[in-house]
Parts: sequence; C-alpha cells; structure tokens
Amino acid sequence: MAHRDPRRLSRRQFDLLGTQVAGAVAAVLLGIPIVGFLISPLFRREEAVWRKVGDISAVPEAQPTKFEVSFPQQAWTTSDIKAAVYVVKRNGSYKVFSNVCTHMQCPVRWESALSQFLCPCHGGLYDMNGANVGGPPPKPLPQFVHRIDGTTLYVQNRFTETI
Amino acid sequence: MARRLAAAYNWFDERTAIRSLLRKGLYEAVPVRGAWFYTLGSATLILILLQLITGIFLTLLYVPSVTEAWASLNYLKQHDAFGAIVRGIHLWSAYILLFVIGLHMVRTFFSGSYKRPRELNWITGVGLFVLVLGMAITGAFLPWDQAAYWTAVVVTNIPAYIPFIGSFARALWRGGDFVGPITLSRTFGIHVWLLPVILFPLIGAHLALLRKHGEFGSYINYRGAYRSREGVDVPPAPQQRPIEPPYPALPTDELWAAPLQTEDFYPHQTFKDGVVSVGLVILVFILAVGIGAPLEAIADPSTTSYTPVPEWFFLPLDELLLLVPQQLIPLVLVLPAGGVLLLLALPFIDRDAERNPFERPAVMVPGAFAVLFVVILTLLGSGRLFNL
Repeated sequence: MAHRDPRRLSRRQFDLLGTQVAGAVAAVLLGIPIVGFLISPLFRREEAVWRKVGDISAVPEAQPTKFEVSFPQQAWTTSDIKAAVYVVKRNGSYKVFSNVCTHMQCPVRWESALSQFLCPCHGGLYDMNGANVGGPPPKPLPQFVHRIDGTTLYVQNRFTETI
Repeated sequence: MARRLAAAYNWFDERTAIRSLLRKGLYEAVPVRGAWFYTLGSATLILILLQLITGIFLTLLYVPSVTEAWASLNYLKQHDAFGAIVRGIHLWSAYILLFVIGLHMVRTFFSGSYKRPRELNWITGVGLFVLVLGMAITGAFLPWDQAAYWTAVVVTNIPAYIPFIGSFARALWRGGDFVGPITLSRTFGIHVWLLPVILFPLIGAHLALLRKHGEFGSYINYRGAYRSREGVDVPPAPQQRPIEPPYPALPTDELWAAPLQTEDFYPHQTFKDGVVSVGLVILVFILAVGIGAPLEAIADPSTTSYTPVPEWFFLPLDELLLLVPQQLIPLVLVLPAGGVLLLLALPFIDRDAERNPFERPAVMVPGAFAVLFVVILTLLGSGRLFNL
C-alpha cells in the first residue's frame, strides 16, 4: 500500500471541497441580488411633496374638521392616494392631524359626542391635542408637516414623527 | 380492445413500475376502529387541492395592483357568474379548510398520534397549519376592498412591535413605511408562490412519513388500551400483515406498536374519505353559489366612517390587540409564537408511550385550556364586533 502524505488533499477531499465551493458561489451570486431586491424599497425615501389642503379660515375653534388631500402613491403607481387631514384650531393656532392610529394604523375618526378621536378597531382614544388618552395606542396621533399661507393650508406627505 | 389496453398497460408498467407503485399506495394497512375520524387528514388535503385549483384559475383574471385588483374582482362579480362561483369556492373552501385542519390537529392531539416514532409527522403538520394560516392571511389582502386594505394595514403593522427590528420587519413586508403597491405585489407573490412552494413539498413529506409509520389511529385499536382495565385480558399481539406499512417501522413500545385489526386503505378507508370529502365539496359549492365571496367598496385610506372588521380566523388575535395594554403590545407576537413553539415541542414534552387521552391529564388539561382560551377570545371578539 502506497504511503500517502496526510498534508495533501486526496482526490475525494478535493472533489468534495470543489462541490461545496461551487454551491457556495452559486448561493452568494443568487443571494446578493435577491436580498438587495427585497430590502431596496426600505432605503428609497419617498419624495417629499407639498399638497394644498384648502382654506381653513372657516374651521371653528376647538372643533376638529376633516379635509381630504391626495398624495402620490408609493413607488411606480401614477394614481394618487387619498389621505384624511384633521385640522384643529385652538386659541388661534392650528394642529394638523392624520387619521392613522398609532396602535395598528386603523382609521381614526373625530367623535363629537365623546369630544375625542376614536379608533374603531381596538378602542384607542386621543384628545383634541392628539394625546393618546385611552386604549392601546402607545403614541400621540401623528401630525402632518404643514405650513399655512394666509388662510391656505398645505401639508407634506410626512409626519412630524415616525410612527 | 381490452387486450390492446392490457398490452399498453404492461408496456407502461415495464417502464414505470406503475403496478407496484399503485399497489404500494392503495393497499396500505389502516386501523379499523374510529376510521371516520381518520378522514380529517384526507379532507384537509382535498380542501387544499381545491384551493390550488381555484387559485390557479383566479390568476387567469385577477390583477395584483392597487388600481386594478378591486376592479378585476368587481368585473368578476358584475359580469362573470361562473368566475364569481370559482372565487366563492376559493373563499369558502379556505374557511372550511381552517376548521378541518384544526379538527385534524385536535384529533391527532387527542389520540396521542404524535408520539414516537411519529414526532416528525406532527412537526410537519404544525408547519402545514402555520402555512395554511399564512395563506389565509395573505389571501385576505388581495381583493383590495376596504376589508382587505385594513386587514393588510393591521396585519403588516403587527411585526412593527418586534423588539429592535420592528420597523424594519414591517417595512420589509410593506416594501416601504406604509401599505401601498409594493405591499400588494409582495403579498400576492407570497400567496401564490412563496408559501405554496414550501407548502406542497411539506405535504409530500407529511404523507411520506404517514406511509412510513402507518396511520396510528386511536388508542382503542391497540393492546395498550386493555392494559389498565380490570378483569380484561390484554389480547395477544396481532399477526404481521404482509402489506405495508410494516407496523411498527421503528422499535417502539410493543403495546402501542401495531393495531389489533387493520384493513386495506383501498377501498375501505377511501370510501369513508370520499364520503366526507365530497360532503365538504358539496357544502363549499352551496356556500359559494348561495352566499359567494363578498367585495366591499374599494380601499380608501382616508375613510373616517369605515369600521374595519377582521376575518373570523383573525378574531382571537384581534381581541388580544384590544385587551393587551400599550406597554405590553409585543405580547400579541409572543403568545402566538409561543403557542407554535409549544406545539412543535409537544412530542418531546409528552414522551410517555401512553396514548389513551384519559390517562394523559398532564397534556390534555393544558391543551383543553389553550383551545378554550382561543375560543373565548374568538367569542369576545365576535361579540364586540357583531353585537351578538
């Protein structure tokens, strides 16, 4: 029996290693673009746009008033998407809320009988200032980035804080 | 003519061994007693196949786009009566599938069929149960009506409460911070490709393991059932049948190794399987034609009047979302995940050979409480949402 140097690869070991390397190369070459493709939308920030909401001079004091605004949709879709905007006027200053609940993002509504914003999904409650005052919501009602030119309200497709 | 057919069959058999494959497949030994309960597995399979068939045909029309999805299904509803029935079958067989797979699981739990050597039968089954739930949830997004949209919003928001990587996990599914076109494309892909390419091979594994170890059935078929009864002799061990599977496939407790009485899978079990399955198919058809699949108004994120109501199978989790206070919201992830982990661990927790459910209180009582917990959450949720 021929003596074999244990430091040298046998043909079997070489072929085994080759098979594993081939598999690993294929997995990496496939894996990188697939993982990149999956997570790429996470790093693409949607373009900030300003949209006109309307004239807010008729919004009554301490009476949240609903407006609708259209924003461009995510990604490639050319049609707009509607969003609800609640304008609250208190002591001459304005707050501009979204209808997105901070618990599970259900559509919040102003309930004048309760004098609170109510989330119909799980009973979240917010007061007129947007503070989460009851139920499961962990954060205050989100506010839009906005500006007021005279009496015309503009909002951006951005919240002041991430939710 | 008959001779020609026989010759063709022989030709085919020589090349494929179809004869021995069919024989192996059909003349399996199955336990005799309690056989109507053993139809739940085949009923689950039939309902999944119904999903596959109707699902394939629905893709011939459905468009997975936020502007077209609702419109394509509305077209189906308005202008295509047969297509609407196909969609109805897809929906109602999914609903009934969730029931039947649950019953199949409860039956297996009750009869202790998950024990050695069938631990992997149970584990693949738990995997299939989770995948079917995943199919149900992702399928619920696709119509893009109000119900679908708000289901998508709430369900994709749940991963946001995973500690540390929450908002990343949410954005990964949504394809952005908010639900939109990428969410629908991704969920459609998950529903029609990603989950099925895992689901169907896993069904294959589940069935291969079933054939390897044989249908366990229930304790009443085994010598072990006679052991603890006063004044009753344990019957002698059964003769080994020449037919597969060779109970037991692995050396195991002799009292629970082979059923005392078996019969051929075909045509005895297939008859019972056929009766139950066709009954379910008829029920699905009646519901699909009679009630059909609903389609609400198109998704509207700006609504301040719509009250989202979850799919009934999502009610227990929705009720948890309501009950869990804001500091403990991750509990809604921990409880279901813990439940699945416990199910996976079950064969390794309950290792005793005993199969009689009345002799296994340590497993049966917590199991009953777990089922009761889910049922109570469902009842609370439906009471709240439907004013029952």
